[in-house]
Amino acid sequence: MPPLLEARNLTKRYSGAIALDGVSVEVERGITGLLGPNGAGKSTAIKLFLGLLTPTEGAALVMGESPSENVEIRAHLGYMPEHDCIPSNMTATEFLAHMAQISGLPPSAARTRAADTLRHVGLDEERYRSIGEYSTGMIQRVKLAQALAHDPSVVFLDEPTAGLDPVGREEMLALIRRTGREFGISIVLSTHLMGDVETTCDRIIVLEDGRVSESGEVAGFTAESETIFIDVDIGVDELIEELTSRGLSASVDGVSVAVRDVGDAEYDHIRDALAEVGARLRRLGPRRRRLTEIFR
Amino acid sequence: MNDAPEGRVFDLGYRRYDGAREGRARARQALFVNGIRTCFGLGRGAWAKLLPILFFVSVMTPAAFFSVMGGLLGDVLVDIVDLPGHEDYYGIVSPILFIFAAIIAPELLCPDRRERVIDLYLVRPMTATDYVLGRWSAFFLVSVAFIYSGQLLLLAGLTLGAEEPLEYLRENWLDIPRFLAAGLAIAVITTTIPLAAASLTTRRAYASAGVIGLFVLSSVVSGMVANEGQFGEIARWARLIDIGGIQTEISDMIFGEYESAENLPRALMIAWYTLIGGGAAYALWWRYRSLAR
Repeated sequence: MPPLLEARNLTKRYSGAIALDGVSVEVERGITGLLGPNGAGKSTAIKLFLGLLTPTEGAALVMGESPSENVEIRAHLGYMPEHDCIPSNMTATEFLAHMAQISGLPPSAARTRAADTLRHVGLDEERYRSIGEYSTGMIQRVKLAQALAHDPSVVFLDEPTAGLDPVGREEMLALIRRTGREFGISIVLSTHLMGDVETTCDRIIVLEDGRVSESGEVAGFTAESETIFIDVDIGVDELIEELTSRGLSASVDGVSVAVRDVGDAEYDHIRDALAEVGARLRRLGPRRRRLTEIFR
Repeated sequence: MNDAPEGRVFDLGYRRYDGAREGRARARQALFVNGIRTCFGLGRGAWAKLLPILFFVSVMTPAAFFSVMGGLLGDVLVDIVDLPGHEDYYGIVSPILFIFAAIIAPELLCPDRRERVIDLYLVRPMTATDYVLGRWSAFFLVSVAFIYSGQLLLLAGLTLGAEEPLEYLRENWLDIPRFLAAGLAIAVITTTIPLAAASLTTRRAYASAGVIGLFVLSSVVSGMVANEGQFGEIARWARLIDIGGIQTEISDMIFGEYESAENLPRALMIAWYTLIGGGAAYALWWRYRSLAR
């Protein structure tokens, strides 16, 4: 069985500029985060997998098929662009039914899917209102719904939380998690917000200058490290001095004291040092690393 | 004891779709139907429906008038005036059709690009060529329906108004294939040029103004040159400038009303018509082809 998505030496050159440079990567089922700074090649990669662009070299394959050569495979793809793409003079249900038909569903099935999908994104009550009257958060939901209306195998989400307030952002991320985990639809989430990826994705692919710089399980990147973080109310400088005198590598990290390369034996030294300086301990333990600490 | 039947609400959760997927054929059909609905303003406000109705009335009115003239007063007027018939109808309604096309056709293309819905179409099982063909064929069908409606009304009026309707049909049956063929020739131009213009802008008003401006300007310049005696042979060639007039020249050819001695050679006019129609079609296709590459 071919992988869900596969880039084989995928290269895209524009006049004088390389957007993607020989990228080879496989994307499995689940929620995959596509990370990278502006101009890293995220949007180009998505457009190549959607068949909107044709590769200069190599291939972008969806379930073993090239979407730019075999347009029928696009019936299994969904796309939620970052930019506005929703007509303002239609109702959400009418728009979704139309887009589901454009994806190949018969009219009656398209209408049923439109109603179901709008219910899943929380727009059941609003589905007969003109989209022109919708708020930003509701429009984002319609954008997601149109990408899901035809029940695709994989959906590409380009900055889905852009423009949303904190509550709207959390709701959208919850919806994405539900889509990926409960609905069984694989997701490629392109974003520059590490927090969104960390709380939502199973895996990440990091692009830099058109190449894959890192890829793997999110849990692997954020695994507990061998660094112990100690939060004390007073005596930070004294504690660092005491730990250093005992041969430990200690330094200030934010509001904590970070002690690196801690094994079982070092815990006794930390206990004794705390007792020695009389620091009031509030918290001690390893901490999961944040993606923002890894990909600055 | 309450005997009312117990009701339960089940949350079925998300259900995967395992029904038919009809692919590209369904996509083309859906776009075509959506295009026809857009032309008639269906699913939108009253204003969007009013314009097509007004245009429909405008193209039917001359047909109704000719029917009355020819059918009811034909015997009285036949010796006084040359009564208009099928061959004259297109020449009269052609400007109305062009204005209709200039206003309505951009509605099929401009909003999709302005609101960037086109990006959603082109990531589905549909190519840029499918999109252009779907929109073109929708407007072409609407144009043909408008054009034929008037001719059919005229045919009905003239036939039923004749003393011997069957005799009238026997004598004039050739008008039917002629107006059908001429209608297609006119609809090709009234569909393709406005859509090509609409493909160049995201603003409907600009596209409409551009097409109407082109129609009026080319007609005025052509008429001025043709009517000035000092231009001599050039005056004949000025007919080529008249974008809106080319289709009626082709219509005249189909009805056998085209005099090559006074006008440009038939082959030249047909080649020019093909070039204008083909060039506009190519520009339209190329514009959308460049969106996905």
